[in-house]
Amino acid sequence: MISQELKTVILGALKLDEWELTDATVAAEVPGWDSLSHVNVVLAVEKHFGVRFKGAEVLRLKDVGDLQRLVDSKLAQQR
Amino acid sequence: MSHIRTSVGTIWHRWCENAEKSPDSVAIVHWKAGETPRRWTWGELISTAELYSVVLTNSGIEKGDVCAIIAKHNSLIYPVYLGCVCAGAIPAILAYPNPRLHPEKFREGIEGMGRRSGLDWILTERAIEGVLQPLLGGSRSTIRGLQFPFEWNACQEAAGANVPRGAVHAMRDSDPLLLQHSSGTTGLQKPVLLSHRAVLEHVTQYGNFLAVSQGDKVVSWLPLYHDMGLIAAFHLPMALGITTIQIDPFEWVLTPSLLLQVISEERATITWLPNFAFSMMADKIQEEDLEGVTLDSCRMVINCSEPVRYRDQEKFFTRFAPRGFKREALSSSYAMAETTFAVTQTPPGREPTTLAVDPQALSRGMARPVTDRSAVKVCVSSGELIPGCRIRIADDEFNDLEEGHVGEVLIKSSSMFDGYRNYPEKTAAAIRDGWYLSGDYGFRHGSEYYIIGRKKDVVIIAGNNIYPEDVEAAMHDLDGVIPGRVVAFGEEDAEVGTERLSIVAETTLTDEPERRQLRMAIIKAGMGIDVSITNVYLVPPRFLVKSSAGKLSRSANKERVLRLRDQFNMTIQSVELR
Repeated sequence: MISQELKTVILGALKLDEWELTDATVAAEVPGWDSLSHVNVVLAVEKHFGVRFKGAEVLRLKDVGDLQRLVDSKLAQQR
Repeated sequence: MSHIRTSVGTIWHRWCENAEKSPDSVAIVHWKAGETPRRWTWGELISTAELYSVVLTNSGIEKGDVCAIIAKHNSLIYPVYLGCVCAGAIPAILAYPNPRLHPEKFREGIEGMGRRSGLDWILTERAIEGVLQPLLGGSRSTIRGLQFPFEWNACQEAAGANVPRGAVHAMRDSDPLLLQHSSGTTGLQKPVLLSHRAVLEHVTQYGNFLAVSQGDKVVSWLPLYHDMGLIAAFHLPMALGITTIQIDPFEWVLTPSLLLQVISEERATITWLPNFAFSMMADKIQEEDLEGVTLDSCRMVINCSEPVRYRDQEKFFTRFAPRGFKREALSSSYAMAETTFAVTQTPPGREPTTLAVDPQALSRGMARPVTDRSAVKVCVSSGELIPGCRIRIADDEFNDLEEGHVGEVLIKSSSMFDGYRNYPEKTAAAIRDGWYLSGDYGFRHGSEYYIIGRKKDVVIIAGNNIYPEDVEAAMHDLDGVIPGRVVAFGEEDAEVGTERLSIVAETTLTDEPERRQLRMAIIKAGMGIDVSITNVYLVPPRFLVKSSAGKLSRSANKERVLRLRDQFNMTIQSVELR
């Protein structure tokens, strides 16, 4: 389940007012989420949640659900 | 270090010579993040290519057949490509379909290419068989079959036990070697056919100019369907017998630090990058991703295939100098598929020359150097002519212009293409009296050439050419857009270091929710042809102006929209021009 917080960060990075994001959403389905803007989305998520992703972790992300789980696992490690 | 000097023959024979001379040397390192790199020695590469040549020939592929190769970053793509050449076929590497590209649009693109290029076969992966299958047998299709050479076990079986060494068809240096396509999505692509001679002569001349030696290693994340990836980062090292390291383009764009990690680990010396990559790596890579990375092996990082931006080169140097990156490793080049690749290049051992000019004078076509750098435009040179190339800077009447005057860049090259394949009208429009009309604007200062703009409307995004007519065609049927009243153009994005695509569309809609829907529909229509639209400007009927030829003028409408936007201080995302 995608949190409203993650959704807001992603849409903010893509400068989108509204777009439906689910666990299964992939970047190619979202306006403006192309290869050039992907790095901006990742950096925005890292900054907002105060976490750092390794390159290999970013490469393994297949959909928004994977990104949510990665954020959750990083936050859990910090606790 | 001894520089490589070579004789002219066919590319295939050159590869075989390299294999005979150094069978155990590494020709290609296929790099995939998280995996042990696949190192192709020359001996393995050539014997596997010969096996493929037998498989392809047995399956009906004949000398002169055009074989599109469509695959992801796959370690077998190199011997498949070489195998095509060995069989006398003409390989044409095409982009793998992006998930956002509608399958029908993808097929239309292939069909469009096929009509010009005469695509005979598609060598691809089973995963996209369903997408490609409808292309077979259609009345508009030239494609005779799909082949799946990446299924290695089946290929070994098909080849049988005896793969005769030297199962190579008779070939001459004048035979076509490869086919490259300009970008585009609706069949507007212009196929450039290059011979063995053109490619071998070019990479030899260019390699000599770069002072390539056996100690060099090329590294590249560029896709092989792009001329910079194919000619500079693949054919050049392969012909000169030095190692090329191939990174997955998709992985690089997701984790830009990958290139620097590979340079450090492999001690790579030369790479080519579009301008946006300088900007992206300087801005987006985090220090933690560079642990242990040193860039002191870099001899040349060559900025090419987009206008070279001073600010981006500088920030790249500033960011990576502490990692051992040397200022003289900054480099630039001006290149295009029609001349095989490079026309000008910064000589090795020094950074590109810059020239501070008066921007007002530049807009009037004069590059007037100024000493006060506070209110100037800093132009970055694309280097000096490489041997075998000539440039004229000419006005619209084809008259030569003097040094410092801005005009169209006309080129003659000893490795120039012979014309667009099956496209006489485009060829005639591109060549005049033996000079290739580049469509780029530039000027000469001393022996250096500066490219500063374009006569053509093509938009270059991250090194890829996007044709506005392709994008406009995708918008014409949208509800809410007045048919035929759409213009696409590129806008400079200083933050990203490249251009971004903008649309201005006339509409009668005035209701804000409906206009929001229309903007989204325009962005989605762009996604359907695999282009990202960053800015949408909705304008009232009769806003767009026409050129004297009666067509909507992209440059005049761009200028008008941006002026109005700036005048009313509107933000890009919310602009509404009424």
